[in-house]
Amino acid sequence: MTLLLSFCRSLQMLWKNRLYQGSCPRNQTFSVLYSYFHFSKKEQRYFSLTLPFLQNNKATKLLISKAISSSKSGKNKSKQESSVSPHPLFSAGTAKKKSEVLGYKKDQQHSFPFSSPVLLPTKPLNSEEWDKVKENFEQKDIFENWMMAQMVKYNSSIDIAKSLLSWIARKNNGNVGYKLLIGYLTLCVSQRQTTEVIDVYEIMKTRYRTLEPEGYTLLIRGLIHSDQWRETLILLKDIKKIMSPSKKNYGDCIKGALLHQEVNLAWNLYLEMLNHRIIPNWETFQAFFDFAKGVKNNQFEGRLLDILLYLKHNQMYPTEPFAQSIKAWFESIPEKKWKGESVTIHKSGHCSACGRMLESIHLNSEEYEFLKQRVLKDVLDGGDQYRKTTPKEINRFVNFIKSCPPFDIVIDGLNITKMFPKIRESQTLLDVVSQITKQNLQVLVLGRRHMLNGSSRWQKNEMAAVQNMAYCFFADNVSEDDAFLLYATLHSGNHCRFLTRDLMRDHKACLPDDKTRHLFFRWQQGHQLVFLNYYPGKKIIFQSVLTYDTVVQTTGDSWHIPYDENMVERYSYEIPTKWLCLQQQN
Amino acid sequence: MSFMHGNSLVRNLSLSYKMSTCFTFLRHFVKRSVVPFVLRKKGTGLYFTILHKHFSSRTPILFYPNKENVPPIEKIDLDEWKNTMKSSLQEERSSFTTSDDILTATREWIEMCRLLNREVPEHISDQDLKMIAECPSKKSKKKKLKYLYIKEMHKKAKKEKQEKKRAEMDEIEKQKQLGNAEESKNTELTNTFLLPLKNRAWKTEWDWRNAQAMIFGQPLVFDMAYENFMPERDLKNTVCQLLESEGANRKNIDPFHIYFCNLKVDGVYHKELIYRYKEKWDQLLLTTTEKSHVDIFPRERLIYLTADSPNVMTTFRHDKIYIIGSFVDKCSQPRISYANAKRLNIASERLPLDQYLQWEIGNKNLTLDQMMWILLTLKNTGDWEKALKFVPKRKHSGFHNISINSKNFVKDLQKNRLGIKKSFRKLSSNAKGWGTWWKDE
Repeated sequence: MTLLLSFCRSLQMLWKNRLYQGSCPRNQTFSVLYSYFHFSKKEQRYFSLTLPFLQNNKATKLLISKAISSSKSGKNKSKQESSVSPHPLFSAGTAKKKSEVLGYKKDQQHSFPFSSPVLLPTKPLNSEEWDKVKENFEQKDIFENWMMAQMVKYNSSIDIAKSLLSWIARKNNGNVGYKLLIGYLTLCVSQRQTTEVIDVYEIMKTRYRTLEPEGYTLLIRGLIHSDQWRETLILLKDIKKIMSPSKKNYGDCIKGALLHQEVNLAWNLYLEMLNHRIIPNWETFQAFFDFAKGVKNNQFEGRLLDILLYLKHNQMYPTEPFAQSIKAWFESIPEKKWKGESVTIHKSGHCSACGRMLESIHLNSEEYEFLKQRVLKDVLDGGDQYRKTTPKEINRFVNFIKSCPPFDIVIDGLNITKMFPKIRESQTLLDVVSQITKQNLQVLVLGRRHMLNGSSRWQKNEMAAVQNMAYCFFADNVSEDDAFLLYATLHSGNHCRFLTRDLMRDHKACLPDDKTRHLFFRWQQGHQLVFLNYYPGKKIIFQSVLTYDTVVQTTGDSWHIPYDENMVERYSYEIPTKWLCLQQQN
Repeated sequence: MSFMHGNSLVRNLSLSYKMSTCFTFLRHFVKRSVVPFVLRKKGTGLYFTILHKHFSSRTPILFYPNKENVPPIEKIDLDEWKNTMKSSLQEERSSFTTSDDILTATREWIEMCRLLNREVPEHISDQDLKMIAECPSKKSKKKKLKYLYIKEMHKKAKKEKQEKKRAEMDEIEKQKQLGNAEESKNTELTNTFLLPLKNRAWKTEWDWRNAQAMIFGQPLVFDMAYENFMPERDLKNTVCQLLESEGANRKNIDPFHIYFCNLKVDGVYHKELIYRYKEKWDQLLLTTTEKSHVDIFPRERLIYLTADSPNVMTTFRHDKIYIIGSFVDKCSQPRISYANAKRLNIASERLPLDQYLQWEIGNKNLTLDQMMWILLTLKNTGDWEKALKFVPKRKHSGFHNISINSKNFVKDLQKNRLGIKKSFRKLSSNAKGWGTWWKDE
């Protein structure tokens, strides 16, 4: 099975590489008609037909393998598996799955746009041959630039590009335009032709007084592997004169410094980057960890732990390759005997490998109070009370809340009833409310006035029963009830949960800064109840709220790092489910 | 021959690669070399391409096995261009010498961008340059440059068009002068009983209608209270739209009486309007006031038109005063105009877009001039389908078929009303002969 799987994976990687490489120069040299041309379009279509099939194949294989592994361990693990089932709202990949169910497959259509047929030479041509090619081309004035762009696109051999440049130089008194040079440089950089990059660099230096960021970026990327890597720092300085360098520029310079064992320089560049509030690439972080694997340096060790803490404070989740590097580095520290494992976390917040308890998701009283005030001020009020509600209604609501005891569960009546369009709304609501009140919980139902008017969907007697069992607040038909829901929940105290499927992203966006937004999200994860399916008359099972915080965390002798799996597409508001557990063994 | 050659190669390869893969390779190789134009099956093609990928790095010669068929590669001097580029150098430099002055550096950067055919303007004023240098991010710089580029292109196109027109006119003039003698007979004034309508006549006519509208016409209020909600660019857009809607109204057969309410004197709106209208501002036939619409008109006659309103507009009421918020919102601050209506306790309505159109993409905010066209058409015809033709076509995929039903529904209504009238007539004719009462006298 594993053999088959790895074969499949390598197959796909090859396939992908090939696709980006595009041209297969020697494939069709047998053809007499096109002795030095081939049709890229035809090939592309051929690929695009087969690729989805392959991908699907791989995906299904993976799924099968996962299913097998889970069924193998099913006997002894079945309890655990059910207890770590992903959260229906916030676990990574949920939104993607949902969009697939709903049938959005737009990106597949756009992944391989077909352009006009491309004829690319497969070997260096001489001047006469190039003249001939140009004759057959329709738009004569853009021929050179177009040809270079195609070569970059299909990653042709640089010899062919050189022959093109020679031909152009001969035509133009030894001049080659900047755009062509950049195209050529792109080819050299992508094929790691360092000597060529240096040559182009020399030419550019003397031809032009200054470049633009694109040129600088390419040069930096090309030069870091050469002996002249220190020049990249000068180039970086040149970019700074016009604009702040991108994270790519910094990342390449750091990589260059690390390649040449200049640890302090790399670290200073990293700090400079953070000072400019540029968030480093994963490759940059990974470069640090990869570099540290073979090096014994206590100071550097501390710096790497700083990086991990930076991830913690900014709620960043490493990619899978980076997580592997972290693991490899920890395990390479000789005397400390770290051991890493990829795990899932138990519902109660215990790590399934080492059994340690993760950090709690609940806010402390200070944070809670702060969040409560912010929600009242920024979400419910929002600068203009008329935009979401009216001042009169806010007064009515605040008085209502004051007159009631603290609630245990606040229900968004409209949201939960609209989830099941086949069942009558008032019936769903009554069922849910009666099931919750049976457990002796104080319930608040929020809704809008029109629910009371009586219709076939909202029956008056059922609504009256709901009002008997629970506290109810009905906002105006044009008001936003979510804001009321948030405030009521926060006001009732830390034990109070709320029941809705709404992700509350628009309300989160009303909050002023990242810190408050993260507080809100933490609170939301720990207080939002969801139920997945509902059949009239059956018992409703609620998805339990999260009890642990999903951030990088440490206890000194252990690290827990949540990371993104390779195959899972995580949306920005979701959190990963896979963790890397690192613990010291004594 | 070719087969033999391929075979020997394969033998070499088989030393280093597994037999099984080699077998498939061999099979394929034979197929390809013997029948080069054969259509490949999917499966075999797949193998071949993968193997090709594997081998290509190691055995490049493999793919030119047939040296007799392929023309011998001429020796091309591949580095010739480098030498010529280097030899034609003017000066030696050890590194780039980007200027330390940010403005000069930015100008140089823009020059380099133009070499890459990026969307940057050719001429750039010092003021714009400073603005670009102060932009915080690369993206904002590029955006600003693109904006200037497009502006410059528009200017260029306009100039070209004008020159073309001028050349044409000159040509006509020339021909006229040439054929002057013959044409002088033809160009004599013809005798007609119709007076030619000149521009001035049109203008008088429009002014007349507008003056009438200012006395007797239905008011239409533009609420100018939003100048603090918009960035400068959007505000300029709003004024553009206002100009357009004012023009549309002026030329209509039955114009509205336009009010600009909440227009602060020397506010941003006021300044921009005067800048656009110049001296014509004082001659415009519309009312501007600093007062709010609530102070001028009775509250119960006002209706705020906003996309966020829960109430759908069903018919155009000639006795009401409609308010449009002059506000270009790129959908970043929803419900602002509706909040205003709520605050002032005014009735609000939205256009029945969903009822008539199959809405596809885009928000339901319309521009001011589109609103003006829709309202004018509604006022003159009362036909929703005609009026909603001014909704941009990109936003919807046509009218609902239901609208035919609704038409029938309206017809039925009208029939019923006629029926009522008839019965009333019957009643009254019973009492006294309807239509003939004056004959009795």
